[in-house]
Amino acid sequence: MTRIGCWVVAHLTRLLNDDEREVVRGDLAECHTPTGRALREVIGLIARRQLEPWCSWRPWFMLVALVIPIGFLLSHAARSWAINAASDVWIYSRFWDFSYLAVPGWRRDVIGAAVRMASGCLALIGWSWTCGFVLGRFSRQTVWLTVSMLTLVVFLGTLGTSTVGQPPENSSLVYHVGFVVLPRFFRTFLVVLPLACGAYRGSNVTSLSLGRTFLGVIVLASATLLVSQGLERSLTFGRGVLPADKGPDGIVVTADDPRPLWFLSLVMMWPAAYALTEAIGSRSASSGAAGGAHSRSR
Amino acid sequence: MQLGEFEYLMLTAVARLGDDAYGVAIRQEIEDATGRPCSLGALYTTIDRLELKGLIKTSMGDPTPQRGGRPKRMVRITTKGTQAASEFYNAVMRVSRGVAWSSTK
Repeated sequence: MTRIGCWVVAHLTRLLNDDEREVVRGDLAECHTPTGRALREVIGLIARRQLEPWCSWRPWFMLVALVIPIGFLLSHAARSWAINAASDVWIYSRFWDFSYLAVPGWRRDVIGAAVRMASGCLALIGWSWTCGFVLGRFSRQTVWLTVSMLTLVVFLGTLGTSTVGQPPENSSLVYHVGFVVLPRFFRTFLVVLPLACGAYRGSNVTSLSLGRTFLGVIVLASATLLVSQGLERSLTFGRGVLPADKGPDGIVVTADDPRPLWFLSLVMMWPAAYALTEAIGSRSASSGAAGGAHSRSR
Repeated sequence: MQLGEFEYLMLTAVARLGDDAYGVAIRQEIEDATGRPCSLGALYTTIDRLELKGLIKTSMGDPTPQRGGRPKRMVRITTKGTQAASEFYNAVMRVSRGVAWSSTK
């Protein structure tokens, strides 16, 4: 094997587990395998090892139940809320006046916008983290592939759609920041980063603390309740899955609009519910084991 | 226990090699017997599958200089493996009875 061949094989075999890496490199050295064949052999083995976990139902279930539906919703929600946040920040920073805080009606609007933005960010982080956690738990061996797929869905889920009827002809810097940069920022820092952290935690930590998980789920459920209509609208206005219904008052985006997509919040919450169920299960198991040990010691 | 053709070939190679059964030697045996190349991927994934079925046991051998100081993965057939290979062989013998396959081309 040439020196470059040895270097490439050494790096490729890092994808194998420690024991197998040593054995395979030993086999190639013992047989004096030529570079081309060695590369083919190693790539073949790595491909088989990577595909092995896909023989199980778990990664497929994750794809169908989580990666595609939740990734798609996260993609639309992140874009929609980034644009809303950009609009709010732009309007208030451009026309800021302290009377906004003095007049009760205006103050309510400012607080509403701030709460909306904070809840949206919190919900995106929470949903993404729990998704990563479930991906790590369900299929440890395929976790980084499923996380990559989810990331791809998050970034490409809104492709070919827009939240505006017609973009302005001369795209200004404000438009570029609000409609292009901020959605990417939201997707990267509020979705992909927590997703990766959750996946790391899901594949490494043995059990979750019940208290923290319970508190986290309560906070996430509250944030989800606050942003549930926004989530539904991100799909109605961002994808046009359903025509916007004005409701009895004849005005869109008001409290009386019908909500045929109400179940989307439940879809977003199932990974959190799974994490809570698991935390409860591991608490019961550990208290059962402690009880057993206590009775044995008596 | 149901065996595939390649699994049977591997069990037979392991049984024939005895204490000297490890990756390179098993691969050589199979290639010599079939005349077809045997890839590392097929070899090691089949070894894992057979071990999971309890038909073989593997262990890490000592490092050797000709392997660049790296260990071998030694393979040993279990009683269950011997029985499974024997059943496969008997089935092939039974089904071949009365059929005159030519032994050479």
